[in-house]
Amino acid sequence: MRKARTRWRIAILILVLALAAAACSEGESVDVGDETTAAPAETTEAPAETTEAPAETTEAPAETTEAPAAANILIAAQGSEPDQLDPHMTSAYASFQVLENVYDTLVQPAADLSMEPALAESWVISDDNLTWTFTLRDGVKFHNGRDLVADDVVYSFERIIAEGLNGWRFGSVESVTAPDDSTVVITLTRPSPNLLVSIAGFKGMAIIPKEIVDDGSIGTSPVGTGPFRFVSQSPDEGIVLEKNPDYWRASEGLPKLDGIRFVQIPDAGTKLTALRTGEVHWIDAVPPQDIESLSGEAGVTVGRVPGGDYHYFALNQNRTPFDDVRVRQAIAHAINREEITEAAQFGAATANQTAIPASNAAWYYSYAPFGSGDTATAQGLLDDAGVSGLTIDFLVTSDFPETVTQAQVIAAELAAVGVTVEITDVDFSTWLDMEANGEFDAFMLSWIGNIDPDDFYYAQHHSEGGFNFQGYSNSEVDSLLDAGRVETDQAARKALYDQAAQIIVDEASYIYLYNPDNINAWRDEVGGYMTRGDNAIRFEETFLQ
Amino acid sequence: MSDHLDDRLAAKPVSRTRETLQTLMANKLAVAGLIALTILVFVGIFGETIAPYGINEIDIPNRLTGPSGTHWFGTDDLGRDVFSRVIVAARVSLQVGFIAVGFALVVGVPIGLVAGYYRGGIDSFLMRMMDVLFSFPAILLAIAILAVLGPGVGNAMIAIGLVYTPIFARITRGSVLVVSEEVYVRAARSIGAGNRRIIARHILPNVMAPIIVQTTLSLAFAILSEAALSFLGLGVQPPNPAWGRMLAEGRNFFQQAPWMGIFPGLAILVTVMAFNFVGDGLRDALDPKQKSVIESRGQSV
Repeated sequence: MRKARTRWRIAILILVLALAAAACSEGESVDVGDETTAAPAETTEAPAETTEAPAETTEAPAETTEAPAAANILIAAQGSEPDQLDPHMTSAYASFQVLENVYDTLVQPAADLSMEPALAESWVISDDNLTWTFTLRDGVKFHNGRDLVADDVVYSFERIIAEGLNGWRFGSVESVTAPDDSTVVITLTRPSPNLLVSIAGFKGMAIIPKEIVDDGSIGTSPVGTGPFRFVSQSPDEGIVLEKNPDYWRASEGLPKLDGIRFVQIPDAGTKLTALRTGEVHWIDAVPPQDIESLSGEAGVTVGRVPGGDYHYFALNQNRTPFDDVRVRQAIAHAINREEITEAAQFGAATANQTAIPASNAAWYYSYAPFGSGDTATAQGLLDDAGVSGLTIDFLVTSDFPETVTQAQVIAAELAAVGVTVEITDVDFSTWLDMEANGEFDAFMLSWIGNIDPDDFYYAQHHSEGGFNFQGYSNSEVDSLLDAGRVETDQAARKALYDQAAQIIVDEASYIYLYNPDNINAWRDEVGGYMTRGDNAIRFEETFLQ
Repeated sequence: MSDHLDDRLAAKPVSRTRETLQTLMANKLAVAGLIALTILVFVGIFGETIAPYGINEIDIPNRLTGPSGTHWFGTDDLGRDVFSRVIVAARVSLQVGFIAVGFALVVGVPIGLVAGYYRGGIDSFLMRMMDVLFSFPAILLAIAILAVLGPGVGNAMIAIGLVYTPIFARITRGSVLVVSEEVYVRAARSIGAGNRRIIARHILPNVMAPIIVQTTLSLAFAILSEAALSFLGLGVQPPNPAWGRMLAEGRNFFQQAPWMGIFPGLAILVTVMAFNFVGDGLRDALDPKQKSVIESRGQSV
């Protein structure tokens, strides 16, 4: 009798544990970061360690080394699922990892982020800087066998302007025309020195064939001109790409792989294990805390370059006392960027008091007016402003967990000057709403994929900028940013942006924290791949040995 | 005159409470649960005094160190002492548990009393409303409520309280239906006692047993719900510690620092188990039907 009762109690215990587990997993399906609702430009790369779903491994075949046919197929593991495969409509980094290898743009960023020819082999700028004439490469074919013509470029750009997420990039474009099959002419309303970056900085500006839009297959079955063509997508197999034999760089022997299979492994630990055991050849990110141990491992290479992304937070200048520049400066002095960087990124990042990283050599401006945990200066500024007992309502999102970590470190640092930080942690779509509605004292996130200084500063700090949610307004900065948009002389343009950056940093419109490194990892049998500063994942020159 | 008779009719044997306690104390698991709860409540009240470190003492150079003499439960990714955070988090868990269940009790029991006693239209109306609440999975409803109210401890209490309200309404109503047919209720009514008096003096005391049992068990599930909500980032906001949130944070570091998740997980386990043991013990002690089964089992052995 007693035994039976004990068993019954154990059963209850197990039930309780099962309920606990159920409670957790049930919620996970609800909480998964909503990639599709991400704002057009303000998306951060979903860091691998954030992924919410538990060990939901996508089965990678164990026999990759056996079957000779599969021997030259790269298996690449992504941390999240592409939401869709329409390059003009998606803002998910996972989608671009795939599309990078399927589509081309008119020109493209080289490894050093300067713009190099792609579908256009050359271009000429008129003397008044208002007409750009591009000459298309001969013999480029879409994956469906049709030749690329200038009308495809016109169609693609018109589609982006009319309905894509990136129409704003054509702000200075008056018209796009195709006088003949191999010529595209872009006329502008004002000189636009950053035109190439704007219209071809990433695969969101891909050139597509009209027919896949007409038949509605663009979202699920992309057809591009890139090194690989899309074969299939399924929950079991992931996304399968095969070599494009008609690639316009085929004469150089590219691509070298016969194909690529993208598998999705949301759990960062599982993804890492898959790389270690050789189930996959390449993974898109490494949790910062694992970089050190992984770097020392035989058989695995960690690719790490300083990235162009930046992390920051901003104080709401529509609210007192944050409209007082001294209060913002006090906070900028009191925080310790090195400590924040180490806490959130385990050293895989570089602290920076401005936005543009040193790796962006053309536009980097070295400027660091603030101290590092300088509480004396901070306290002095707060006293000058007559502020004490300040409480900051700090808006962060668990969908990007580094923001939660950073806010906690900042809270501890600001406690030293008597400032209380109350953290509000919401899901990303709520976060975006609250940011847009100004429901915050401070918000924190990151900007990714910027190359040109106009992208770094205009939308965020111009008083009419679309992302100036912190309410910064300085007429001098406005005129510098306006002038930078039309200045065609590189040196003069840089001088304008340096001035603007200095004011923006001094007045703490954003309080900049650091530039994270871009990190991928791959097995030693993978050759011809490199981690890029713009985080583009390109496998055209990659091979397996 | 009628009042005296009425009181005598309602008189209960004094020994019943003692008998209940005796049965409870004879149940070893329930006693273990009670001891665990006593410790938990003590920790909940004095947690911040006992904790060897501040809950927000960040110490990056000593992050992710394992359990040791200086840090009994190790340190987390920001170098904070896990032991201190687990201890301090006990308070908020118990608070949410007690206040949420208290809310459910205060709202649910009167609804059940009214519905069960008056029957008819008001019964249908109240209980259909409860059915609507009941038809949602508990955690989903709590998440939906928090989506409307916004995250935070206070709102988590309201959400969990609302989720558990229909359980109390139902249990109360069921018991009231039985009790209101009892002879002493009819007798009280026949001598002219008012409805309010009958509910308060005759019905409520006699439906308390299942409500007490349900309260104890609900505490366990309320604490579990709070942990789940905090796990999802909807409950306690950082940097304040909560077991569920610590579990969520620990998940990202499970390979390097399993202690970040294990200890808060154990705290949840122990708390929920303790409430369940006590609840089971109370059910054995309070529920006459269950008791007779146990007694007959005891005799047959």
